[in-house]
Amino acid sequence: MTRRRALMWIAQHALAIALALTFLGPVVFVALTALMTDEQALTSRLWPEQWNWANFGEVFARSELLTWTVNTFVYASLATLFMLVSSVPAAYALARFRFRGRKAAFLVVISAMMLPPQVVAVPIYLVWARLDLTDSLWPLILPMLFGDAFSIFLLRQFLLTIPRDYTDAAKVDGCSDVRILFTVILPMARPAIAAVALFSFFYCWNDYYGPLLYAGVDQEGWTLSLGLATFKAFHSVQWNLTMAATLLVTAPVIIVFLFAQRVFIEGVTLTGVKG
Amino acid sequence: MRFVPLAAAGLLALSLTACTAGKEAPPSLGAQPGPTTSGTGPAAAALPAATLELWHGFSTDVETKAFEEAVAGFTKKFPQIKVTMKKGIQDDQITQAIRGGKAPDVAASFTTDNVAQWCKSGAFQDLTPVIEQDGIDLSVLPAASRAYTEFEGRRCTMPLLADAYGLYYNKALMKGEQPPKTLSELTELTKKLTVRDADGDIKVAGFIPSFQYYENSPSHLGPMVGARWYNDDGTSAIGADPAWKQLLRWQKDLVDWYGYDKLEKFRKGLGDEWGAEHPFFKGKVAMVLDGEWRNAMIANDSVAKDMDYGTAPLPVADDQPDLYGSGFTAGTVIGVPRGAEHPRQAWELVKHLTTDTESLVTLSNALRNVPTTQAAMEHPDLARDDNFATFLDIFAHPKTSTLPANVNSVFNQDAFSTFLIQWEKGTVKDLDAGLAGVDKRINDKLKLSGG
Amino acid sequence: MMVSTRVAPPRRWRGEGVRALLWLSPWIIGIAVFFVYPLLSTVYFSFHRYDLFTLEFVGLDNYRYAFSDARVLQSALNTLWLVVFMVPAQVLFALGVAQLLVKLKIGGGILRTIFYLPSLVPMVAGTVAFVYLLNPATGPVNQLLARFGITGPDWFGSAAWAKPSLTLLALWGAGNTIMIFLAALLDVPRHLYEAAAIDGAGSWRQFRSVTLPVISPVLMFSAVTGVIYAVQYFTQAMIASRVASGATDSAGTTFTPGYPDGSLLTLPQHLFHTGFRDWSMGLACVHALLLFAVAMLFTLILLRQFSRAEGTS
Repeated sequence: MTRRRALMWIAQHALAIALALTFLGPVVFVALTALMTDEQALTSRLWPEQWNWANFGEVFARSELLTWTVNTFVYASLATLFMLVSSVPAAYALARFRFRGRKAAFLVVISAMMLPPQVVAVPIYLVWARLDLTDSLWPLILPMLFGDAFSIFLLRQFLLTIPRDYTDAAKVDGCSDVRILFTVILPMARPAIAAVALFSFFYCWNDYYGPLLYAGVDQEGWTLSLGLATFKAFHSVQWNLTMAATLLVTAPVIIVFLFAQRVFIEGVTLTGVKG
Repeated sequence: MRFVPLAAAGLLALSLTACTAGKEAPPSLGAQPGPTTSGTGPAAAALPAATLELWHGFSTDVETKAFEEAVAGFTKKFPQIKVTMKKGIQDDQITQAIRGGKAPDVAASFTTDNVAQWCKSGAFQDLTPVIEQDGIDLSVLPAASRAYTEFEGRRCTMPLLADAYGLYYNKALMKGEQPPKTLSELTELTKKLTVRDADGDIKVAGFIPSFQYYENSPSHLGPMVGARWYNDDGTSAIGADPAWKQLLRWQKDLVDWYGYDKLEKFRKGLGDEWGAEHPFFKGKVAMVLDGEWRNAMIANDSVAKDMDYGTAPLPVADDQPDLYGSGFTAGTVIGVPRGAEHPRQAWELVKHLTTDTESLVTLSNALRNVPTTQAAMEHPDLARDDNFATFLDIFAHPKTSTLPANVNSVFNQDAFSTFLIQWEKGTVKDLDAGLAGVDKRINDKLKLSGG
Repeated sequence: MMVSTRVAPPRRWRGEGVRALLWLSPWIIGIAVFFVYPLLSTVYFSFHRYDLFTLEFVGLDNYRYAFSDARVLQSALNTLWLVVFMVPAQVLFALGVAQLLVKLKIGGGILRTIFYLPSLVPMVAGTVAFVYLLNPATGPVNQLLARFGITGPDWFGSAAWAKPSLTLLALWGAGNTIMIFLAALLDVPRHLYEAAAIDGAGSWRQFRSVTLPVISPVLMFSAVTGVIYAVQYFTQAMIASRVASGATDSAGTTFTPGYPDGSLLTLPQHLFHTGFRDWSMGLACVHALLLFAVAMLFTLILLRQFSRAEGTS
């Protein structure tokens, strides 16, 4: 029995390590290619003969990478901020107030969450074109002022788990809804709020479809995803530069993750369990 | 919740009326009187100052610089006009900007695929009134260039520079043979020049017949057999024209001689069309169909520039020897989009770039593209080495043709190409039925777009 | 406490409807403007020819065209393929990895991070990287395979392999799902396993009778959200097509979506190209309604699942 268990132990760890190496593989090869010279990147040799660190500088010199980063950051931050301002109260109302149509309202939240964004793209695009706001990221940021279905859903599910006793006690003390939200609910819901904020931020950071539709022709108004998507087209033969750009686009996300690992894992787990 | 549909209905009504109202647009071309060119004062002085936005598709440093110099020639003539430029612009972006009401003053495109749609929808302004006003003689342009810049009587673009397509051949790989003049000669030579290894894998191809190979699009190959794309009413003529079947059967025979799988394996291992690994540069193919601009690319490549190569017109159908010398042409087009802020000044810029002989010659020499006007073609300063002159002659040939303008040009070419991939793969059993299917797709789409 | 509040609805709840409306008003406006209005408007435009310049009523022409368009069928089938093959593959793979991670005694933390990280890589970056890695001629994967004497497939270059290649990308990015399963598995009480083991249950029986019941809500959640995600699948397919086809924007060539051979053309992509590249807004609205119908179908399944969960909690 113990021998079998030991064999199992070895097998499991070996399999896990092999899988982990496979998961790391893409990153390793991308990094190696990013350090090759132009000529070598086209050959079949996998190890750089010459470590060409200048490729990263070249990416900055040849593209608007810094501008794209700033744009993406502004888009993601504003959208997240607006999302919080609008979604927390909505989730609070859905979780706490009793009113007719409460269930229907929640069903609408779920339907909106499931609706592919492309379904309503045409009329919404027309509205933004009317308002003269195409060629900017505002059509992606401003709607966040009116609540985001996924965030409302997640926050509501979390708020439901806060026992009513807390808020009821506050109500007896004569606190207003707003005070209750700020002094009782928000501190208790911090992990959920952190999670939805992170999700929203990363959704925007990675978003390609939205900027593709609205960001316009001017490269100075692009986001990282949009810029990277066309990078290969403009430097078609230079895989090394494309890979260097890919790494540069990915790096900030990874760095943020390493600092906020706990929030991430908690947030992800939250979606699963609460769902 | 009851008021939600109500509010939505209100919003709907609001925005629907807004949709058809349209924004107040700047005056369009021809609406204002032009600067008095008949008076004593130079026309230049009569034009008010403005800053023009110009979008173009050039992207490499060499191209961009040459184009900027051409524009500098204009601002020297009109010092009160400034031009800001945006490079690397594609057609999609131009169309999107115009439709979204963010059009530049002047836009240039590398392809002629969207001209019909631009002219028909009014996305680009009709230049006819100002052409008449300024008394420009369009007969200095060859018929093909006139054709690809207008649609149904609306001339909404002007040809800037043209491209002509011909045959490039690597002299070292030709084994002393002359370039082929007919399709059967091309087949024969291909068989003779192709080199295979012991496994039967292709090492050097005589000519790659695949429609998926870089420039081998049906639009470029069609002129070899004088094939027709459209009937006069814009419906598809592909299924009915026996020339296409002649081309396809010839092509399929050659593909089968290679063996489709062997050919695909060879094709997929080839280097990038725009890089130093191009198979023609690398001596992996003896003959290729390509545009005149390949000359410049060969000259600019550090290794390929020493290659001994020649150029010739494309071989033609055996039963139509009078086609020899002709080929496919298309080119860069330029025009004034709807919603341009300074249409009058924009037209002056377009006029300068497309009709000023000196400007065209300089630009042509820098980019190694074919100039479009008669005067520029005959200008002594135009560089005309043998390999380039071939393309000047193809361009000027009376039978040289272009892809006729069609509102769904991109879609139609795609529909045809999709079928051609099936064809060369060998999954098409009935050629007539297959081509009829292409016709149907093209005609259905035409009907949907409003004929 | 809960019981007492239920029995006697206090007076202070009166007027909560008005307050709720107040709190929800921004969201209600949002739903009206970004959900209800566009849906109605989409129906309206689907009967028109509209290119942003001229609006013309054409009756059912757009519908007739869409339902005889081979590309609509092809893109719908591609989307279906993703739902039928990619989603189950991702869910099962994630479950397998999570199972493995639960059993590990050492190194679990680091491995967890390794499996999670790829899911954070921006979609565009991940896709570009995979197209490079799986490049048939020069990509590292086929180079490695060649060292073992295997001729690798054409991956993103062949119609048969393109969607499986995207599935590999989806597996690589399955970190979120892995973490969700991991959390669920850790919630399974240990003593249940021990009890089952005493009863002589093998590992498969243990999984079926102990693990599965506990994680089934999570499994369902992952499956359905995976399906919804697959229905809107856009970015990876589009980027893979673009990069693999070698489309060069600089040459002004117009890119045909779905390379190779339309095998990566998904319904949302077809809609996007029809509406925002061809500017056939009316036809795009027909595609949108079709996509809406597909999404609705799966949403209903999810809604049923949720109302069941709501009922029990």
